[in-house]
Amino acid sequence: MEGIIEQFGFAWPKFIAQVIIVLIVYFVLSKYAFGPVLAMLNARRSRIEEGEANIKKIDAEVARAEERIQGMLDDANRDAERLITEARESAEAVRGQKTQEAVNEAQQIIEKAREASRLEHESSMNELKRDFGRLVIDATSKVTGKVLDDGDQKRINEETAGQVAL
Amino acid sequence: MEIPTSTLFDFAFSPVLAAGGINAPEIPHLGWFTNSILVAIIVTVGVLLFTRMATKKMELIPGGKQNFVEFLIEFLYGQVEGIVGKHVAPKAFPLLATIFIFILSANWFGLLPGVGTVGWGEGNGGFLSLDSVHAPLLRPATADLNMTLALAVVFMVVWVYLSVSELGVWGSLVHIFGPKGGLQGMMKYALMPIFFFVGIIEVISIFFRPASLALRLLGNIFAGETLLVVMGGLGEQVLGAKGILGFLTSVALPIPFYFMEILVGALQATVFTLLCGVYIKLSTSHEEEGEH
Repeated sequence: MEGIIEQFGFAWPKFIAQVIIVLIVYFVLSKYAFGPVLAMLNARRSRIEEGEANIKKIDAEVARAEERIQGMLDDANRDAERLITEARESAEAVRGQKTQEAVNEAQQIIEKAREASRLEHESSMNELKRDFGRLVIDATSKVTGKVLDDGDQKRINEETAGQVAL
Repeated sequence: MEIPTSTLFDFAFSPVLAAGGINAPEIPHLGWFTNSILVAIIVTVGVLLFTRMATKKMELIPGGKQNFVEFLIEFLYGQVEGIVGKHVAPKAFPLLATIFIFILSANWFGLLPGVGTVGWGEGNGGFLSLDSVHAPLLRPATADLNMTLALAVVFMVVWVYLSVSELGVWGSLVHIFGPKGGLQGMMKYALMPIFFFVGIIEVISIFFRPASLALRLLGNIFAGETLLVVMGGLGEQVLGAKGILGFLTSVALPIPFYFMEILVGALQATVFTLLCGVYIKLSTSHEEEGEH
C-alpha cells in the first residue's frame, strides 16, 4: 500500500503544503470574496424587494389619488351644472324683470310724451286763441273806429275763443 | 570551437515534450518543493488577487470584475442551495465554491503554454536547446496526488464538522446505522441488524471517499496532460515528421484535444464539487433516506 502511495508521488511535506494552500484559499475567499459578495447580493435583493413594495404602495396611492380626483371632478361637474342652471334661471328672471322694467319705463316715457304733447297742444291752442282774439279785437277796433274797453275786449275774446273751439 | 548540434532554429521547430511520471517532480535545489506546489501557489495568488480586486470597492451597481465575481458566486450559490438545501447552504457554500473555483482555475492553468514544456531536461547543449523536459517548472496543480488528496481531506474534515453540527454525534450515528424508510414496530427491530451491517459498509465507503475523489481528479487531469504531450509528439515520433513539418504537427494535432481538455477541466471541477455537495446533503438531511 505504501509503495503504491509513494508511486503516486505522495509525501507528507508536499501533502501538508497543499493542505495549507487549500486552507488559505478557503479562508481568504470565505472572508474577502463570498462574505462581501453574498452580503452585497442580499443588500441588493432587499433593495429590490423594498423597491417593489414601494412601487405597490405608490400604485395604491395613485389609485386612491385617482379616485379622489375623480370624486372631486364629479363634485365639480355637479356644482358647475348647478351653477349654470342657477345662473340660467337667474338670468331668465333678471331678463324678465328688466324687460318688464323697460316696458314700464317705455310706457311711462310714452305717457309723459303724450302728456307733454297734449299740454303743448293746449298751450298752443290757448296762445292761438289769444292771438286770434287780439286780431279780432284789433280788427274790430279798426273797423268800428272805437276804442274798446276791457269789458268789450274780454267779451270779444270769450266769443272768439268760443267760436275757435268749435 | 565545437558548434552545438542544436541551434535556436532547431529548437524553434522542435517540439519539447514533457509529461513525466504521475508523481510531481521536485524543482531542483528546492527540496520537497514540487512544480505542482508552485502552480498551486500561482493559482492561489491569481484567484485571491482577482477576487480582492473585484471585491475591494464594492458598489451597489457593479462594474466589470465585480459583476463577473457576483455572477459566478450567485450562480454557484444557487447550485449549492439546490443540492444541499436552504438551511445548510450558507455553511456549505464557502467550501464547495472554493473547491470549484480552485480546481477549475488549476485545471485551466495547466492548459497554458509553457506548463509542462519549460523546465529541466536533456539537450544537446546551448541555451534553450532541450530535446525533452524531465522536470517541468510548471505542472497542473491537480495532476498531483498531494493536491487532490489535500482537497479531498479538507473537504472530509469540513464534511464531518457540518454533519455533526447539523445532526449531532448521536444523530449522525443513527443516520448511518439506524433503520431507514420510516419502519415501525416489529419490522423495525427485525431489520436492525441488516441496517447496522449496511451502516458498516457505509462507514467503509466514507473512508474511501477521499481516495475516490482524489484519484478521479488526478487521473483525469494527468491523463489529459499526457494526451496533449502524446499528441504534440505524434507527428515527429510516430509519423516521422521533421523540421517545420514536425513543428506544425506538434502545434496542430493537440489543438482539438485542448478544446476537449477545457471541457474536461470544467467537468472534473463540477464532478468533484457536485459529489462533495451530494455527500453533505446525504449526511445532513433530517429525513430518513435509504440511499448511499
